[in-house]
Amino acid sequence: MAAPLKAEYAFGPEDLESRRKVVKFTVLRKADPDHAESAELASFEETMLPHIDAAHNLARWLLRNEQDAQDVVQEAYLRAFKSFGGFHGSNGRAWLLTIVRNTSYTLLKKNRAVDLTTTFDEEIHATGHDSASPAAILEHAEDAELIRNAMDQLPTEFREILALRHQEGLSYKEIGDIAQLAPGTVMSRLARARAKLKEYLAAQIGKEK
Amino acid sequence: MTCEEAIKLMDGYLDGELDPMTSQKIEQHLRACRKCEQAYEAHTALAHAISRAAPYYKAPTELRQRIQSSLRDAVGIRGSRSAARENRALLTSPRAERRLLLPEIPWNWLALAAAIILAAIIASSFLPRLRTPASDQFLATQLIASHVRSLMADHLTDVASSDQHTVKPWLDTKLDFAPPVIDLSSEGFPLIGGRLDYLDNRPVAALVYGHRKHFINLFVWPAAPDEAKAPKTITRQGYQLLHWADPDFNYWAVSDVNVNDLQLFKQQFETRTPRH
Repeated sequence: MAAPLKAEYAFGPEDLESRRKVVKFTVLRKADPDHAESAELASFEETMLPHIDAAHNLARWLLRNEQDAQDVVQEAYLRAFKSFGGFHGSNGRAWLLTIVRNTSYTLLKKNRAVDLTTTFDEEIHATGHDSASPAAILEHAEDAELIRNAMDQLPTEFREILALRHQEGLSYKEIGDIAQLAPGTVMSRLARARAKLKEYLAAQIGKEK
Repeated sequence: MTCEEAIKLMDGYLDGELDPMTSQKIEQHLRACRKCEQAYEAHTALAHAISRAAPYYKAPTELRQRIQSSLRDAVGIRGSRSAARENRALLTSPRAERRLLLPEIPWNWLALAAAIILAAIIASSFLPRLRTPASDQFLATQLIASHVRSLMADHLTDVASSDQHTVKPWLDTKLDFAPPVIDLSSEGFPLIGGRLDYLDNRPVAALVYGHRKHFINLFVWPAAPDEAKAPKTITRQGYQLLHWADPDFNYWAVSDVNVNDLQLFKQQFETRTPRH
């Protein structure tokens, strides 16, 4: 396997000459009709694989289960590849996240109908016990475990919108496109999600005391 | 504006999603109303806490490999014998066999790399210089390819340091120019490191910055005297490219952050660039 070993060397940081040739080759290969299919795959991977962390993160928050999240991301990538011909937009991440979201909801509906229908249970989470003050919340706000627990208790659509806004930094427009919501609805849902999270945090901190 | 209205629009204001007129009205109200101002501060702190403290679940490496191999299955490409064996293994027992696959993966990449090198040698002997009127577009392709490769091949940085006084001397010794290296941590763009790259037929410096969970590659090389100095933005394949120049250097910032964040990055970088 002498040739492949040499090839690895070509990717080394110092071998700049070879790197230039790699770029040229990408351009040439795409123009070759004989390899249309593998060129499409290469183009798909180049466009979509960089967003694998975003895809996995969203699926993980939606499904709250690592194995399901991985299965959904794999399924979503296959679906995305099949309809890649129809993708002419510039926002690959939003496009992929839409598919991840739809795939996640399909699984949620199939496996755990309860997960979607469970809305916030006021009885369980009522903050009857003395809830923490805003100052106390802020004191604990850096506690990752606390935030994760509180976020995991939120209804699906709240977890989703917080992840899209705070972890992906997406605009209301992008979130609206992904979750099929009007921009005004995005704002009010975000407001409710944040208020609810604050409430849960306050309840948890109150309990710890 | 009443308190009720201000509270209702507070999230939009916090996220910078309101029109300028409404934003201004809220600002006025917050200056005048202590109670709403406190509520806004608490709300901002909560928003920052979510951004900072909520865990970001990165995809495990084996998921990427699983996806790539299932995509290859979908198009029916038999990369190599080991890939075929790997696919069969996935079909029979997708999870149990996964660990066994790892040592085989590099050979696929090496075979791909060998094919690329061979084709590159052929290409470079037949192709004349690819300098066309669309050279900007070609450069954009190179820039995106380089950005993507830096994230994919686990080769983001040659020198990983958030200290500009470590990165700059390292780059200075490797290049025939001394690029400005500025840490923008306090502006929300921490310096992650530096790397050498080859673009536009010359060695260039690539500075790597983080922003939230994303990366920005800033490519820097000396400006030619006759070059166009006008700033440019290009959007391709979901990546934002932003170009600007000063009398000494050309800059290309490439990232998947949104265009406003990238503009902000440019502003911060320009403000902090030492002037001669």
